[in-house]
Amino acid sequence: MADYDYDVIIIGGGPAGASMARIAAQNGMGVMIYDKRKELGEPVRCGEGLGEREVLSQRMDIPKQCFSTEILGAKVIAPNGKSIVWKDKDTRGWVLERKMFDKWLVELAVEKGAKVKTYSRVTDLVKKDGKIDGVMVSQWGNEPFEVRAPLVVSAEGMESIVARKAGLRAMSTLYDVDTCYQYEMKPYDHENLIELYFGTDIAPRGYVWIFPKAAKKANVGIGIGGHLTNGKKGGNVEGADPKVLMDRFIEGHPQLKDSSVLEDFGGVISVGAPIESFVKDGFMCIGTAARQVDPIHGGGIALAMETGIMAAGVAAKAHSAKDYSEKMLKEYEGMWRAGPGKKMAKRLLLRKVMEEVNDDDLNHIFNTITDADLQKIMDGNFAGPVAKVVAGRPQLLRVLKALIA
Amino acid sequence: MIEINHDKCIQCVGCASVCPVLAIELVGLRMKTYPEKCISCRACVRVCPADCIKLVEKKKE
Repeated sequence: MADYDYDVIIIGGGPAGASMARIAAQNGMGVMIYDKRKELGEPVRCGEGLGEREVLSQRMDIPKQCFSTEILGAKVIAPNGKSIVWKDKDTRGWVLERKMFDKWLVELAVEKGAKVKTYSRVTDLVKKDGKIDGVMVSQWGNEPFEVRAPLVVSAEGMESIVARKAGLRAMSTLYDVDTCYQYEMKPYDHENLIELYFGTDIAPRGYVWIFPKAAKKANVGIGIGGHLTNGKKGGNVEGADPKVLMDRFIEGHPQLKDSSVLEDFGGVISVGAPIESFVKDGFMCIGTAARQVDPIHGGGIALAMETGIMAAGVAAKAHSAKDYSEKMLKEYEGMWRAGPGKKMAKRLLLRKVMEEVNDDDLNHIFNTITDADLQKIMDGNFAGPVAKVVAGRPQLLRVLKALIA
Repeated sequence: MIEINHDKCIQCVGCASVCPVLAIELVGLRMKTYPEKCISCRACVRVCPADCIKLVEKKKE
């Protein structure tokens, strides 16, 4: 039983793992984070946006170097070019410098007593008498060695390999992911608004985003439905679909077509449901590894931090009770379902309904609704906006009624 | 099985996230494949935003 090396081993030093480590260490647990990357925060695979509300709710004082610029609102652009500018509590926030932000979050955990090792890949779980007893870790590509802990946490992000080895169904289908490409570009004159461009030709089952950054820079990215890609064979575009569509958008953009590219990013993000179960005996799964990602915008940082903290609270209880059973850890699932899970379910419904809407419908919707309606929609209050939209286009009731059922 | 063009790969690990059989993962600085596990389903080929994965015939022993 005894002689564990740590009370909890966390796999992955992203926002989920670092947040959990911080709170678990604060609660007196011996924490080790293993991250297989050489450098925390690298490579960036993300648009780097983070809502103000999420940060304020956690009373975090993000140091200057971690964020690039402030966001004052969002501008949503319909296929026909009509736009709605929307400035509200949901749209204020920051565009981060993820490389700095991720490292800072881990440093906070270290200051609370957690340990972290980079270039350290967890290759497998170790079980003893059927119970989780630790992990095998390969450092710098060397032979794996055993490290013992009664609790192992997957904060692995989309890859979620150890989570699957633990028996959780942590994988995504093509339909439930968006595949993304992004450039950091300069110069781009912006008004500190996030810009989102919709349209089947622009980004099928997705959108193009422009996230403003400091010094006239911007993250210009695209995400499209994974099931709509063709991977060069059998489709109508040559090469990787998101990049082809991204380049096409930039060529047609009056300002960006002459801008420089400072960095290439790519990634695949879940826009589906969270995994069915987040815990097993001696095992928890948090953040993007558990597919706790907003299905509308693909944002995962805020949810990762939130569930990391939740999971840490439950882990601390398990630690004092010396009981890391699935039954004990289930409390975290309950907290998820009562809190962020509820909101996510509504967003997933919205995403699925939006998939059924064509460009004409979208143009109509954008012509009809106001920024106040957008706020209602994002808050999950669909009835008012739906009534307005359907009044002018009754045939949309068939699709939109799912939102008000 | 699949073949990765490492000159094009950006280590986004998107392929690993949709692989149903854990036939690909990031090891060190590169994606590593396990050909014996691959079922040639093409999920990774289609999802790769860098267009660096292709399906190839399994080599005969």
